[in-house]
Amino acid sequence: MFVRRYLIPRLIQYVLVILLGITAVFFIPRLLPNDPVMRTVAELRARGSTLEPGAVDKIIADLTELYGLEGSMGEQYWAFWGRLLRGDLGVSFFQFPTPVLRLITTALPWTLGLLLTTTLLAWGIGNLVGGFAGYYSNRRWSHLLDTVAMVLRPMPYYIFAFALLLLFAYVVRWFPVSGGATLGRQPSLSWAFVQDVLWHSFLPAFSIFILGTAVWFQTMKLVVQNVNGESFVFYAKLSGVQESKIVSRYVIRNALLPQITGLGLSLGLIFSGALITEIVFSYPGLGTLLYNAIITGDYNLIMGITVFSIVAITTAVLIVDLLYPFFDPRIRYM
Amino acid sequence: MRRTWRGVVGLLLLAALMLAGCAAAEEAAEPAAEEAAAAPAEELPTSGLGDLPRNETLIADILTGRVGSPTNFNEWVGWKWRDRGMQNLANEPLWSVDFATGEIIPGLAAGDPDYNEDFTALTIPLRQGVTWSDGQPFTAADVVFTVETLMAHEGFNANSFFVENVASVSAVDDATVAFELKISNSRFHTTFLDRWGATWIMPKHLWETVEDPVNFEFNPFVGTGPYKLHSFDPSGFWTIWEKRADWDKSPTGMLFGEPKPRYVVFQYFANEGAKILAQLTHAADVVNVSSDGLKAVLAQSDSSRAYQLEFPYVVNNDPAQTGLTFNTARAPYDNREVRWALLLAIDIAEYMGLAVDGTGALSPVHIPSLSNYPRDFIAPMESWLQEFTLDLGNGETFKPYDPDAPQRIVEYARGRGNEISDDPAVQDQAFGLGWYKYAPDVAEKLLVKNGFSRDGNGNWLLPDGSPWKLSCLSGTDVATGHPARNCAAAVQAWKKFGVDATAYPSEASANLNAIGDFDVSGNWPAQEPWGAGPDLYRVLNYWNSEYVKPLGDTTNGHPSRWSTPEMDAVIEKLRNTDPTDSQATIDVGIEGLKLAVTEMPGIPTYGYVGFITWDQTYWTNWPGAENPYTQPYTHWGPFKYMTPFLEPTGAP
Repeated sequence: MFVRRYLIPRLIQYVLVILLGITAVFFIPRLLPNDPVMRTVAELRARGSTLEPGAVDKIIADLTELYGLEGSMGEQYWAFWGRLLRGDLGVSFFQFPTPVLRLITTALPWTLGLLLTTTLLAWGIGNLVGGFAGYYSNRRWSHLLDTVAMVLRPMPYYIFAFALLLLFAYVVRWFPVSGGATLGRQPSLSWAFVQDVLWHSFLPAFSIFILGTAVWFQTMKLVVQNVNGESFVFYAKLSGVQESKIVSRYVIRNALLPQITGLGLSLGLIFSGALITEIVFSYPGLGTLLYNAIITGDYNLIMGITVFSIVAITTAVLIVDLLYPFFDPRIRYM
Repeated sequence: MRRTWRGVVGLLLLAALMLAGCAAAEEAAEPAAEEAAAAPAEELPTSGLGDLPRNETLIADILTGRVGSPTNFNEWVGWKWRDRGMQNLANEPLWSVDFATGEIIPGLAAGDPDYNEDFTALTIPLRQGVTWSDGQPFTAADVVFTVETLMAHEGFNANSFFVENVASVSAVDDATVAFELKISNSRFHTTFLDRWGATWIMPKHLWETVEDPVNFEFNPFVGTGPYKLHSFDPSGFWTIWEKRADWDKSPTGMLFGEPKPRYVVFQYFANEGAKILAQLTHAADVVNVSSDGLKAVLAQSDSSRAYQLEFPYVVNNDPAQTGLTFNTARAPYDNREVRWALLLAIDIAEYMGLAVDGTGALSPVHIPSLSNYPRDFIAPMESWLQEFTLDLGNGETFKPYDPDAPQRIVEYARGRGNEISDDPAVQDQAFGLGWYKYAPDVAEKLLVKNGFSRDGNGNWLLPDGSPWKLSCLSGTDVATGHPARNCAAAVQAWKKFGVDATAYPSEASANLNAIGDFDVSGNWPAQEPWGAGPDLYRVLNYWNSEYVKPLGDTTNGHPSRWSTPEMDAVIEKLRNTDPTDSQATIDVGIEGLKLAVTEMPGIPTYGYVGFITWDQTYWTNWPGAENPYTQPYTHWGPFKYMTPFLEPTGAP
């Protein structure tokens, strides 16, 4: 029953969402007025290069062929699936002929390192502290934390990030102004490089962590306060169940359900990068790669990054769906 | 007190820049605080340079942004962020344009090209004794190999140009290369003339064994410039170049001596605030900023300077003429009198204030007022400009030229509290020689003559009675983008005149310009000139009727889609004029400029204004306006010719 009514529909949904998502991502950029061939020609022209006007038609034809943009939209679509199923995401148009996969795999470790760590830390700490603050909502420390979170949460991220940058990189100069590592240092697995990356990552990570923690804290606190008012918690207290058991098994466990869904979605979104963080801190990652791909009409790169993102988000949602029965036994008996 | 006030203003500017730029998702800057105002600008911080000695290293930002393909140095295919040091340090072209001195500098070439009488053959003398950065000699065989390789593979940017032009190429000897052309082309050699890009020469010994040259990454880059590749960031944030031990085997070394910086770093900053902070902490010697960024740096730093030491501070000798382009294939902009009416509706003093705070040099013609152009073209045209007359109908005429227009900019700038020299030569250089009168009454007569009318609210109606709506297309980079600045100023002027004008910033502006989907565009009103020398072929040829395409198709010529048989005749005449015959070339160029002024397919406004700041903590003797020994940018090719003249301060 569980397999037929719960598992199989979700697996079908998983495959369908990926198929439809990737199809949409194939067609939507092609409807934009940004044409990658023209963008390349315009870039060559705009930068003062001598493009003999009479040669432009031929250049456009050559680039169209090189970029694999010949043929109808349908032909390109089937060719795209053929390549994708072979694991080939094609080459970037604007960064021709660099393979899209190489661009993504160069940027991904920076994004994963930054966002995976900060997302998990913020989720864990925000929910833990928020859970207790919600259960003990009448305590002074709970009010204090709530006030801090209320100040932090509405603050636009870029203002918070710039404030950190100004304070710690310019006024007291504890951290670097920009970059993911020291100028001239090549990526390696040495401890020196890891230290260097950690030093450079501190401000971007701290900015994401603090605001992320405030968000998880507030949502968890509210959910816990709601659950705390449920009759089953009331009866547990009346029945003399140990308070620590009530907090962990009755309240926080139930309150965690929406938070787990939120975590799944947040983890999936990691693959879209953190554009503003990357811009404020001049940090390498997928965000600026995707942004530049969009403004240059680099279809292949847009598709490459969003394929990763679509698969990641749908997989995260599927995993959350599959984990739900462990947290919520009602689903097992559906 | 004044210093403190400037500091606070600077920090506020910094704050505004960072926030505004972040919202725009590309350019930004950085905020304010009283503590920051008191931050020790004189403190020498850690350079964050790893093993490189800071006082032997010059750090500049990459103008074109983060390098998207950091491992790929194959400049001959697509776009490769050549200002990461390839064109400006490691490569030597045959010739380079230096727009500050107005000279053409022979790099790998030893002199001018020598054409035959009908321009179907030429020989080029090459500099002897040059070696590639890997020690191999540079010879005519490299040039022959390059041209033959480019002709053999369609993926190269220059493939079609060489296929269409070259019948054969051969090495006469190691120091002479000869071309036989398929068609007469008196400007064939300019494909090798570096003006922010050119056809570069490949080292034959490295490329001849490559099976797929289009996809060859050419990593590490090997060139004939005075620097060689040291290292680069796989994420595209920086590239480091090191001075060659045999720098004297490069044309730069032979012409100008030993470059001073041992290392040069080109670094990407994702927002303007980071650039500014880097300069304030002496971690970036040269940064390209916005106008507000320039003010912020100058207000905050004791060690930074701008191109000009006094107002207007900016680089005003960049060889690009900014302005507005009409889509002459779309009504009513297909009517020259409508175009002139829109020009006369502009109060240039107000316009310049809005666009660039009065910092640009005006030009009444379609080339900028810089280098040799005022002397060779604009000044000789003045009497013609003063006599140039518009027919307003009913026997009424109007002479639109105003030689005193720059004075109105001077007054504007003085009104803003800036000190301007009374020296006419200084004013001419900073603000130009003349422009056009502000004459909305005349503009009205021209429009009425062509069937336009006003509605009850004073707004203009088209000849068919419908409201006149006009949009001005530009890119989205308002901070440093002159198309957006020109559009913003023009829209204000035309609204005031009664036209329903709006600015239309779009990320797709390049494409929309090319297919002609616009009314007016902030695109350059004419193709940029070389920036030096007497030849305007590059400007005029883009108005050739053979390149004009119907709306909807990508045009090969200028986006205005304007052409006339008269201009075609001038272009043909120029093609048959020896480009080394200066006076003849200038005379034909002036003929072309007169046609462009008469028809006004685009409105030339001010010459491109660049905003750069130089930190003088580690390096001095920058080529500022008081000593313009070469062009001032680190992203242009002749930056390598600047390096021997820079002086280290010896700061720790």
